[in-house]
Amino acid sequence: METGDSTPGPGDGASPDVHHKIGQLTRQLHDTLRELGLAEKLRGTAEELPDAKSRLSYIARLTGEAAEKVLNRVDQAKSQHDQLTTETQRIKALMVKDPVAAVAKGHIMNFLTDVEQANQALDQHLTEIMMAQDFHDLTGQVIARVVNLATNIEDQLVQLLIQTAPPDAVLPKPAPAAPDGEGHPVLQGPVVNAEGNADVVTSQSEVDDLLASLGF
Amino acid sequence: MANQLRFLVVDDFSTMRRIVRNLLKESGFSEADEAEDGVVALQKLRASNFDFVVSDINMPNMNGFQLLAEIKKDDKLKHIPVLMVTAEARKEDIVLAAQQGAAGYIVKPFTKATLEDKLNHILKKMGLQ
Repeated sequence: METGDSTPGPGDGASPDVHHKIGQLTRQLHDTLRELGLAEKLRGTAEELPDAKSRLSYIARLTGEAAEKVLNRVDQAKSQHDQLTTETQRIKALMVKDPVAAVAKGHIMNFLTDVEQANQALDQHLTEIMMAQDFHDLTGQVIARVVNLATNIEDQLVQLLIQTAPPDAVLPKPAPAAPDGEGHPVLQGPVVNAEGNADVVTSQSEVDDLLASLGF
Repeated sequence: MANQLRFLVVDDFSTMRRIVRNLLKESGFSEADEAEDGVVALQKLRASNFDFVVSDINMPNMNGFQLLAEIKKDDKLKHIPVLMVTAEARKEDIVLAAQQGAAGYIVKPFTKATLEDKLNHILKKMGLQ
């Protein structure tokens, strides 16, 4: 029988009245979220979380590939450097033994050709090592987007806290809104997953083909 | 003549500015300055003489599209070719850049050969090679 007293006594289980009150609170929270537009925002943010996961995977992949590329190039350069050192010692010994023969038999000329080739190879290795550092730019852009997502989540949770707190509670101030970009196109940054996305290009040749098809 | 051209490399990431400048140097273009966004780039372009701009798109303060638009509407700057080097790979961005007057478009990550190929193509069109 309904008593009208909603406070459960010591040792009481969860009474139907408590269930009813929890239900009311849940409905109130749901309605508040909907009225404030926060439900949609939170849903939108939640939908971005898988995207953030794939962005973090992209960062791991890109940094891993860059490290691999650099280490491979260093291995190759060191191997070529070792060969050159051995060859230098051999030619030095020949020069000490019989300088005229070393020149006449073509050892010196062959050695100089080897040095020239090794220099070219070393230059290529250094260029590739330099190019591998572009991961800093690409991952930096992706990290910025993930940080932005985390900031949005924080902002929405603060908003939720403000709207649902008791009137006398001391609350943090919400973060200022981000600039709206003044109507400029929203830039996407690096494509972390191009599979099945017809709106993006995946190679420089596709860029060239697209521009050529438009007469540029 | 071409290797005396003065380049302005615009990118918010210092690593990328350094990479592009080194690549330009390897390709024989040692005259280059740099800017970290469109605002600084525009100041430098108006304060000094440059022959070529290599610019990123996604940058703070003034992005590459805005910089391109400013260059093309400035009578003193609009002759300068602008090569976009960017991670933005959406087709609509590529088309927009071309419509706004970009001389070329390179998608990151790129190779030295791609940069040289685009530079040579643009310089040939300018009659500098």
